[in-house]
Amino acid sequence: MSETGYPWPIETTRLANGLRVIVSEDRSAPVVAVNLWYDVGSRHEPEGQTGFAHLFEHLMFEGSVNVPKTEHMRLVQGNGGSLNATTNPDRTNYFETLPAEHLELALWLEADRMGGLVPALVQETLDNQRDVVKNERRQRYENVPYGDAWLRLLPLLYPPGHPYHHPTIGSMEDLNAAELATFQAFHRTYYVPDNAVLTVAGDASPEDVFALAEKYFGGLPAGGARPPAPAGTLDGWAGPVSSVVTADVPAPRVYLAHRTFPYGTPEYDAVTVLATVLGNGRGSRLYRLLADGARVALPDTIAAYGVDLAHAPAPLIISATARPGVTAARLGAALAEVVDDIAAGGVTDEELSRAKALLETDWWSMVSTVDSRADLLSRYATQFGDPALVGTRLPGWLAVTRESLAAVAREVLRPEDRVTLVYEPSSEVLA
Amino acid sequence: MTTLVPERPRPGTPRPYRFPTVVRRSVAGGEVVAADLPGHPLAVATLLLDAGAGRESLGTEGVAEVLAKAIEEGTTARSAAEYAVALESLGTDLAVSVDWDSFSATVQVPVASLPAAVELVAEAVRRPRLDPGDVARVRDDEAESLRQHWANPGPRADAVLRADLFGAGARHGRPLSGDPLSVAGLAPEDVSGFHAAWCGTAGTLLVAGDLSRVDLDALAAVAFAGGTTPAFERGGPLPAERRTTRRIVLVDRPGSVQSTLRLGHTAPHRAHPDYVPMTLGAIVLGGAFTSRLNHLLREVRGYTYGIRAEYGLSRRFGRFVVSAGVQTAVTAAALVDAVGEIARTQETGVTEPELAVARDWRAGQLSVGLQTPRAYASALSTLVVHDLPDDYHARLRESLLAATVEEVSAATAAHLTAEGITLVVEGDAAAIRADLEATGLGEVVDAAV
Repeated sequence: MSETGYPWPIETTRLANGLRVIVSEDRSAPVVAVNLWYDVGSRHEPEGQTGFAHLFEHLMFEGSVNVPKTEHMRLVQGNGGSLNATTNPDRTNYFETLPAEHLELALWLEADRMGGLVPALVQETLDNQRDVVKNERRQRYENVPYGDAWLRLLPLLYPPGHPYHHPTIGSMEDLNAAELATFQAFHRTYYVPDNAVLTVAGDASPEDVFALAEKYFGGLPAGGARPPAPAGTLDGWAGPVSSVVTADVPAPRVYLAHRTFPYGTPEYDAVTVLATVLGNGRGSRLYRLLADGARVALPDTIAAYGVDLAHAPAPLIISATARPGVTAARLGAALAEVVDDIAAGGVTDEELSRAKALLETDWWSMVSTVDSRADLLSRYATQFGDPALVGTRLPGWLAVTRESLAAVAREVLRPEDRVTLVYEPSSEVLA
Repeated sequence: MTTLVPERPRPGTPRPYRFPTVVRRSVAGGEVVAADLPGHPLAVATLLLDAGAGRESLGTEGVAEVLAKAIEEGTTARSAAEYAVALESLGTDLAVSVDWDSFSATVQVPVASLPAAVELVAEAVRRPRLDPGDVARVRDDEAESLRQHWANPGPRADAVLRADLFGAGARHGRPLSGDPLSVAGLAPEDVSGFHAAWCGTAGTLLVAGDLSRVDLDALAAVAFAGGTTPAFERGGPLPAERRTTRRIVLVDRPGSVQSTLRLGHTAPHRAHPDYVPMTLGAIVLGGAFTSRLNHLLREVRGYTYGIRAEYGLSRRFGRFVVSAGVQTAVTAAALVDAVGEIARTQETGVTEPELAVARDWRAGQLSVGLQTPRAYASALSTLVVHDLPDDYHARLRESLLAATVEEVSAATAAHLTAEGITLVVEGDAAAIRADLEATGLGEVVDAAV
């Protein structure tokens, strides 16, 4: 067993404007990953502006003071790199991995859109990317069976006013109402050096990166006061909740969801192990009991996972699709029985060691790329104030015991806190 | 006051790209192909057999995929549950994969567990129980799983395109994993018969990991034990017809808020000498973010979340496909734009600035994409399946960087056909049919699915 899950060096500095810079050198491949976390996500969105943090992420690729429209993508891919960005309730990240000789290019591009986006942002770009995002919503959520499950689960899990109540993709109405000035203000407020973490992992030295960070980001002023995300509360938001959706889906499907603990806590480590025991692999409890045993669930549809959110109790989601002839009610009862059993009786030593072995391989597989390492370091600096804490995650999983898991399972899986979402096919399923 | 650096920085000195030395051994009638990753905590092993979907006979489409699931339903030594717990307690699942050219089973574990994991791979692949009752259940689950999958946009459109390109009378004219009906029609003996007929060769063991801690000969002896059937004749490229007229095939999906586009035609096989210029041309057309198709349909028009063009190439055949989901109301306009860009690329080729992006992107991705043991194992698989030399990846980088505008334009002229392309549109037929007919792009026919 490893004492740390992160055996690579970590060096950090902070520029005068507040930008935190992290370097994790690894010379084994001529590749470098550049990763930026901005501490802004959909949890910061006020009512009427859902989807804005994510739409804004799109605008960050559309040009800045010294980078004409479409050049950002062309320069990164045209120099051998891959790139993307994602937005979730907690934060927005931007990242590119390139052959190491193009490190400086990546830093220049990131600095230019951090410091120089607003003057380049025009109505035409906003209108175009609004259409792109609306198509993203159609493609991912509206045009696929069960595609809107996440959109339906969030408001059942979190009350109105809670930062996780609404989904990151936003509503079509709010997206339609988005105005240019709102996005200009959004950038001035949140896209500032003191609200960001810059990480470089791979084929680069800390000295070089720190000097380049100063050169490209040092001239950007720190931001002003930022309104905090709503704190949200779950007080008084209990009681089992059920929702049945009749939709054009091929078979009944049931989701059970529970609020657990924030990502990064020892309790959430136990939730991660619990989800693996429950739903990861053919040796998992749900697979053995419901796919193999009672044969009520279609094997490949069994899932149990935590959504790694850090600013409030994160959800644990358990789901399965019915085998032909099995009703949603029967499947739902079977799922609930397995969950209630684990809450009441905990897990066996064999289940625990199986889950830990799977999680350990997953971890080393994940950190085998410089891109993942950079993203993890940005996360731990942003959310926990210290990138070196990344090394504690794997030991945290491995430290979970039968007793600590049982205690957490008992606490988070209470039937009275359960959210149940059921999909029923709108038309008769043909045999 | 904000100070930005206006000048774009020059690149630094490139460090050499190096693919690890490929180690080959002949052991017990099979071959080991390995890549050394010193110090890596994980290792990957893949048992690769020449038993892909291309080996299935007509009428049994999907049998290899059902076998892939069934080999985990217990072995001659232990039950399905015992097998799952034994393997997963080593930290891995059994990733069984079927493509046109191969059947493979892969594990990824801490290096010290590799011998035990390879033993379990061999146990499932060489000595599966294949009890008829279990196999029938797996078949039913797989048929149901396909039925549910086919409720998504895409699989039906893809099946229609494939049948149009290669003909439903050819195995590769039908879907890779079969369809819900072909799988439901399989008998348990079809599955055990496929295993007996095609999985008895020693095959190839691919290993990526810290070879100083791995005994390749011992692994191979375990993996190849019982693999006594001589290797099969592979067969050359299959004849590929091309349509001379363009047509639109409409797949009805009532109420769909997007139309799913699958536009395609036949193409050469993977080992064709034009592989590099042909695929670079596809990047210019629809591979890179700034490609012609994505630029026009996403960034200028806002019709789609993304559109891409690519070649799907296997040992004996290939095809060119453009894929996108576009908003229902703009389906016809999007189709006109897409066909226009394909025709332009075919007729006038590529420009140097566009090719420079494609070239450097592909070359750079060789380093960026090769960081994990799984990625190295997959690169080794490419060598084996397509009979490529050990220095292939190093040479590929050079040939990508050396490709000229003339070569790539010649390849787009030779291998793209805007006149003969089939335009499959899966969407709300009632909402889009009249618009599609009005485009004049070609006859509109309804798919027979």
